[in-house]
Amino acid sequence: MTSACTFVIVGQLDHPIYEADLTGPKEQQAQYLHQFVLHASLDAIDDIMWSTKECHLKTTDRFNNLLVTAYVTPGNSARFLLLHDGRNDENIKSFFTEVYELYLKIMLNPFHGPASKIMNKEFDKKVRTYARKILGL
Amino acid sequence: MHARMQGLSIQPQHQGGNVSQTTFNPKKRCADVCMELLLLESVHLYKNRGAPAASAALEAIGMRVGKQLAERYTKDRPRLGETLEVIKFLCKDFWLLVFKKQVDNLRTNHKGVYVLTDNNFRWLSRSPPISSAGGDPSQEEALREVALQHLHLPCGILRGAMIQLGVPCTVEADHKLSPPACAFTIRLS
Repeated sequence: MTSACTFVIVGQLDHPIYEADLTGPKEQQAQYLHQFVLHASLDAIDDIMWSTKECHLKTTDRFNNLLVTAYVTPGNSARFLLLHDGRNDENIKSFFTEVYELYLKIMLNPFHGPASKIMNKEFDKKVRTYARKILGL
Repeated sequence: MHARMQGLSIQPQHQGGNVSQTTFNPKKRCADVCMELLLLESVHLYKNRGAPAASAALEAIGMRVGKQLAERYTKDRPRLGETLEVIKFLCKDFWLLVFKKQVDNLRTNHKGVYVLTDNNFRWLSRSPPISSAGGDPSQEEALREVALQHLHLPCGILRGAMIQLGVPCTVEADHKLSPPACAFTIRLS
């Protein structure tokens, strides 16, 4: 059973610095839809972000049967967005925590600019491994 | 330089998963004096390259380092909300981790200007104190100039940290106080 799942990291200037389609190969139409929904959910996340002190924001937005869950870094510098169909909520928290560690390591790299995209293959590999292990994809 | 600064400011991490560990486990540390020498030498280097570039270059280095330090030090802490919380984080946690003590005095005019005063700024601890009573005024000026050059880097670090935490600002150092006391003025933009 295919489950739709896309993961995006959004930087401070509201631009995606990392995108990963965590399910198998999909048709183009769905990918565009995912990107669009995630972009649209940034407004909702902005609202919720400033009304709570939590890092883990629960489901922030929904579109048809797709849910967007978000996580904000403690310094308010990046947001992690996960588009999914609402099946494994518990594991999403641990997934975000693991990816936060990876993100920190990338940020501490002196050669990585503040707004540059994350092109690191190791990072990509590890994110997909965590997705497989924790989210069961 | 970035790696060294970060390496010195963090406590040594537990090296788990290392199978062949003997009972003597030397944690990786770096002597504080290396940091002080590095700072002195960096100011010296940029001064020799040409005075106009020195302050800009040091501030740019500081900004980079400040951003990454801010990212790192907010890791397991609760989220920072408004500007005042960011300033408090800067004065307490950040200052403690980078300069090994907290800020001694924080003043604000509630219109976006904050003055952080540190009576014993760690990076100026080797500067000679400038006595305000008597003494040669031109010599005092020269000493103050030297102290100011050493403050470009910390200003950059503070500015980088504030920007990374979402508060655009400019930071100036006040060299009117006698070293090792030092005041930083943060102006929100």
